[in-house]
Amino acid sequence: MDRFSLDKIMNAIIKAFNSVKEPIDLSSLSKVLSHLDIHEGVTVEDIQNQVEESLMQESYYKVAKAFMLYRQRHTEDREVMDKMQFLVEYCEASNAASGSKFDANANVEHKNIATLIGELPKSNFIRLNRRLLCDRIKKMYGKELSEKYIDLLTHHFIYKNDETSLANYCASVTMYPWLISGTTAIGGNSSRPTNLKSFCGGFVNMVFMVSSMLSGACATPEFLMYLNYFIELEYGKDYFEHADKVVDLSLKQRTVDKMITDCFEQIVYSINQPTGARNYQAVFWNISYYDKYYFESLFGNFVFPDGNKPNWEGLNWLQKRFMKWFNQERTKAVLTFPVETMALLTENNDTKDKEYGDFTAEMYSEGHSFFTYMSDNADSLSSCCRLRNEIQDNGFSYTLGAGGVSTGSKSVLTVNLNRCIQYAVNNKIDYKEYLSDIIDLVHKVQMAYNENLKVLHEKGMLPLFDAGYINMSRQYLTIGVNGLVEAAEFMGLKINDNPDYLKFVQTVLGLIEKYNKQYRTKDLLFNCEMIPAENVGVKHAKWDREDGYFVPRDCYNSYFYVVEDDSLNIIDKFKLHGYPYIQHLTGGSALHMNLEEHLSKIQYRHLLKVAAKEGCNYFTFNIPNTICNDCGHIDKRYLKECPHCHSKNVDYMTRIIGYLKRVSNFSKARQEESHRRYYNKSEIVEKVEA
Amino acid sequence: MLKYVNTGVVFQEIPDEVTLSINLSNCPNQCPGCHSKYLWQDIGEILTTEVIDSFVREYCGDITCICFMGGDNAPSDVVNLAEYIHIKYPKIKVGWYSGRQHVPSVINKMVFDYIKVGPYIQHLGCLKECTTNQRLYKRGATGSDFSDITSRFWRVPV
Repeated sequence: MDRFSLDKIMNAIIKAFNSVKEPIDLSSLSKVLSHLDIHEGVTVEDIQNQVEESLMQESYYKVAKAFMLYRQRHTEDREVMDKMQFLVEYCEASNAASGSKFDANANVEHKNIATLIGELPKSNFIRLNRRLLCDRIKKMYGKELSEKYIDLLTHHFIYKNDETSLANYCASVTMYPWLISGTTAIGGNSSRPTNLKSFCGGFVNMVFMVSSMLSGACATPEFLMYLNYFIELEYGKDYFEHADKVVDLSLKQRTVDKMITDCFEQIVYSINQPTGARNYQAVFWNISYYDKYYFESLFGNFVFPDGNKPNWEGLNWLQKRFMKWFNQERTKAVLTFPVETMALLTENNDTKDKEYGDFTAEMYSEGHSFFTYMSDNADSLSSCCRLRNEIQDNGFSYTLGAGGVSTGSKSVLTVNLNRCIQYAVNNKIDYKEYLSDIIDLVHKVQMAYNENLKVLHEKGMLPLFDAGYINMSRQYLTIGVNGLVEAAEFMGLKINDNPDYLKFVQTVLGLIEKYNKQYRTKDLLFNCEMIPAENVGVKHAKWDREDGYFVPRDCYNSYFYVVEDDSLNIIDKFKLHGYPYIQHLTGGSALHMNLEEHLSKIQYRHLLKVAAKEGCNYFTFNIPNTICNDCGHIDKRYLKECPHCHSKNVDYMTRIIGYLKRVSNFSKARQEESHRRYYNKSEIVEKVEA
Repeated sequence: MLKYVNTGVVFQEIPDEVTLSINLSNCPNQCPGCHSKYLWQDIGEILTTEVIDSFVREYCGDITCICFMGGDNAPSDVVNLAEYIHIKYPKIKVGWYSGRQHVPSVINKMVFDYIKVGPYIQHLGCLKECTTNQRLYKRGATGSDFSDITSRFWRVPV
């Protein structure tokens, strides 16, 4: 503590005396000061607390009150100053994601007053969320655990995802309640959809409303099935057999096909708009496609309110039409949503539905970018970006619809494995014991979060649950992991398919699963996910490096392999995301297979077999698309020059997390990561000449 | 004797196949402008049938083709290995990227499913250029005739 600070304290005390017109002399001032314990490393807050106590000890109650008020004013001033500083920096930042101080994500295209309004209260939300959670932990498990939580959080052993929002994380919703009673039950004013037009308009509104009550993604796995139902109502059950029939009496003479693609256009373009209620982010919208077997398993018992059953023939046509249309539309505009997942059932190391295996390969070969989810049993589904869930109830209910689609994650709390393991090893603690301790705490914190959510629910603050869009007991509490590869590297392991690395992965993830099972009850479900770490991966690397830990790269991997490692081929990567590695990741992980060039349909078809054989259940192929900054041309290939106007001023669209976006819209650190990525490339140029 | 330096899983070299490429050293062609000059030297491990077995064990079912990249210093050894693969692993196709103008007449071409011939000539470009002198042939279903499929490299991708 230097003299200057002591002077400041004295001045503050004198000011407090003066403000309440209490006389003060040197002896009473020194009495107040004599109670203070000023030592090396003491914080301003500490001193201020001591001054308050000291004033009260000396019975200067009025002065103490004035001092507290004075202190409060200064804190507020400091906060305002901080916000003003942030405002200036945000305005100067190169893009919205780099400007964001908390929870940057690339889902905001532009930086403007609306996004700034969204950024400003983020720090307050973090404080509020921490306070709410800590109070609950204290009540449930005592002060010690609450303090330990904050300690682990502030020292970056763990990371609370989405702390800047009050809402629960993400959900895959059943639309049946909407089909029966419109949006009134969730606070809207529209009645149930009755025809194709009201379905399309109402659907967009419904997705916006649902998304505004979630901090993450909203999945509508039944979207195309419902759309198909309304198209059938309009144009007959065999509409797809006469898709070229003119059904429009206007001068436009639209065909059935045109009417349908107009619906696609209305919904997709509306949902990709920035949304006011979500700080100018687009809503995160996900949909699913199914092969015949998945469809039968999920919707075999489904009945629409009018008694009709969903039709596979129509849906089969519509799924393909939508995918083809969306692929084509993406050459006209940057359309991030919906994130699509193709659900394929496997049998004997191949897709069970050969037609859908072929179609999936065809769409990849036509340059479409989407996820594939494979399972040998229709007991799980990935509907929420990459969040996988067990289907607990495939039954049908006349009020809630298909049971299998309703799921999601209430909250994600992530363990920074690299720091935890290094800390344990450096302090000669068995890392499994140390991790167990942390994982146990993480579960308790999640249960405390769950209690808080239940309170909000009881107070009627969560209409999505009340109205049946989401079922509280089918939502997971998610334990995230980050820094797994980096921790393995620290342990001296080679990051390729070898028994030692596999054992390490299984040990670490198995520990989490052990606790997930231990704490599971009929109302509490836990899963484990390798988080995409869009910004957490960068933050962890930075914090850990600052604190002297071994940090081999600037952004922790979201894969089981090192993203810049060029010695691993495509088959190796499938193996590293195969069953033995992912078996404990009950909440999923996505393999982003980065390629420089598109493959042929036959090659993709073979890779689907490879994925089925290795048990890699969730993946996508990622070939950067080129977008010309000068003429706006979008090309599905990875090019250095615009093929249209030959400009070299080109940008790329790629998936860095789940979302296909312009690289220049990612945060700075993520852009650097994307440049370092190794895209398995053609060796023709190098090898042919040998 | 053949020596290999490394392997890769490649997609562009042989159309419609998922190919394990084996890069052979000791290349006698030494084309001006070569991008893989390191393969001119006498380096790497000896490529034996045991090594082939270990590759197949590792990638069994995952690859559809094995392609020898080079080996013009010992073409009969390439043929022997190709025969070995065909007999032991009948499901796996075999390709050979040779830098010679023609396959030597003593060589039994029928042991290959794909053969690429032609040295790299800088101004004519690689297989991806329509002007290339190099050719990729695919053996027909009947097993005796080879057809030129070089134009598959020129197809404008999606």
